[in-house]
Amino acid sequence: MTTTTTGTETTATRTPAAPGQPEAVRLEGVGKTFGSGSDAVTALQNVDLAVAPGEFVCLLGASGCGKSTLLNLVAGLDEPTAGTLTRPAGSPSFMFQEAALLPWLTAGRNVELPLQLSGLSRSARRARAAELLTLVRLDGLADKRPHELSGGMRQRVSLARALAAATGPDGAGGGVLLMDEPFAALDAITRDALQGELLRVWRATGTTIVFVTHDVREAVRLAQRVVLLSSRPGTVVGEWAVGDDRDRLHDEITGRLRQVIASHAA
Amino acid sequence: MQPETAPRPAGAPLADDESAAELAGLDALDTPTVRRVPWWRRFLRTGVPPIVAFALFIGVWQLIWASAIVPEFKIPAPLAVWDSFATVVGDGQVLSILWTSISRAFVGFAMALVIAVPLGLLVARVRVVRAAIGPLLSGLQSLPSVAWVPAAVLWFGLTDSTIYFVVLAGSIPSIANGLVSGIDQIPPIFPRVGKVIGASGLATARHILLPAALPGFLAGCKQGWAFSWRSLMAAEIIAAGPLLGIGLGAFLKEGSDFNDMPKVIAAIFLILVVGIGIELLIFRPIERRVLRVRGLAAGV
Repeated sequence: MTTTTTGTETTATRTPAAPGQPEAVRLEGVGKTFGSGSDAVTALQNVDLAVAPGEFVCLLGASGCGKSTLLNLVAGLDEPTAGTLTRPAGSPSFMFQEAALLPWLTAGRNVELPLQLSGLSRSARRARAAELLTLVRLDGLADKRPHELSGGMRQRVSLARALAAATGPDGAGGGVLLMDEPFAALDAITRDALQGELLRVWRATGTTIVFVTHDVREAVRLAQRVVLLSSRPGTVVGEWAVGDDRDRLHDEITGRLRQVIASHAA
Repeated sequence: MQPETAPRPAGAPLADDESAAELAGLDALDTPTVRRVPWWRRFLRTGVPPIVAFALFIGVWQLIWASAIVPEFKIPAPLAVWDSFATVVGDGQVLSILWTSISRAFVGFAMALVIAVPLGLLVARVRVVRAAIGPLLSGLQSLPSVAWVPAAVLWFGLTDSTIYFVVLAGSIPSIANGLVSGIDQIPPIFPRVGKVIGASGLATARHILLPAALPGFLAGCKQGWAFSWRSLMAAEIIAAGPLLGIGLGAFLKEGSDFNDMPKVIAAIFLILVVGIGIELLIFRPIERRVLRVRGLAAGV
């Protein structure tokens, strides 16, 4: 571990503008240990990761690699126990495996809520919410309640809400969107369709996306860059830029992932 | 090998309108269908059975009375009870009786809400408070509030304060406990959602915690209402005095003091009708709306 600071010191500050390429998210030697003494469990160790603005990065790993812990750190839901973490000025927004829509609000009001919390006027947030629902192809469904929507539609409302939180009131600045296996609970056909939708929305908005998955094919299809994490403790063991030959890359990453998993056999 | 991406060459996405059509098709296929039940069928299903049961009950009652196996002063004719009922309604006395009791119940319930909501919030959110009075609060729920009447009479005399004290003692624990369990049962994902969309402090309470706890809180309120109505009747029956006016409980006591069985039964019916009426007219519609909006009670 190179630098060690307490969690509270790693506050969200804007990335020091490195010439040309200021990162949207930057982790240096980040570690996270739960508990202390003999019960301590190290979930993450010495993680270095930089994500450029507008980049789509997939974090890939088997169970126990601390993917979700890492996302929680970046989201500010938790603080690292070691290293430095730089987040963007606005808080990154988060998409969970479940849609997690608030069941007492309509789809439209769910999307509006982050805008309301950031102080946007009623008419402005209504217009912005309608815009975002149209972006995820749910125009006209703002008045539906979550339970009246299918799983795929709920997850798209969730995406619209996350975009509302990520991009801020005016929609300027792509923002950072953290996604924790958002399609894992969907059936294969819907998942395929939503992967396509996510790519389209990403291209349309220029949002920075950090996407966690344990599905190599999903990672290779979606990301510009795939980062492989080892397990217990999680740390970066490989990085691939996704080029044109995705099938070969898929096989290569799968092979490496198998090695990592096999290394855990006691 | 997962089938979903197999047929499409990597890096060659679907044409935009093609994927839009696919998505629209998926939405149409997957959207849960909502079955709307027409009001008259709902009435047939939920309204008719209790009416039939009530008619049967009156019929059996009439039969028992006609067979004369029980003396008249113990089981009067349904018609005699109706006459007694018609008399109080006819001379307008019923209005003042109902007003006396219902206004007390409402004022008592409102006071109980004002006290129980902060109390419930404290117990739910402050660990020390929960450890200190949480068990007591649950315990008080099973203490019949009639038990407070003698003490309250000694403290406050035969005044309205006695009545309100008993009502509060009966309903506060239920309402507070309802709120506590409502908050305890909030799925942990909701506070996390609140955090990631930028809510904190009061905004979290206002936009996330309170709405999420609402169903449990409403259930507590419903029970609190039932308890406050019961306690009120107990207090009115036991504590009768010139300062207290004639409420439903005193009306019942009056019938019993004069061996007027039709009046006693008419009073019991009135008490029942008010209790059920408030529940059906106030609590049931609110609860139904809250649950239906959340998709929690499709059939209700």
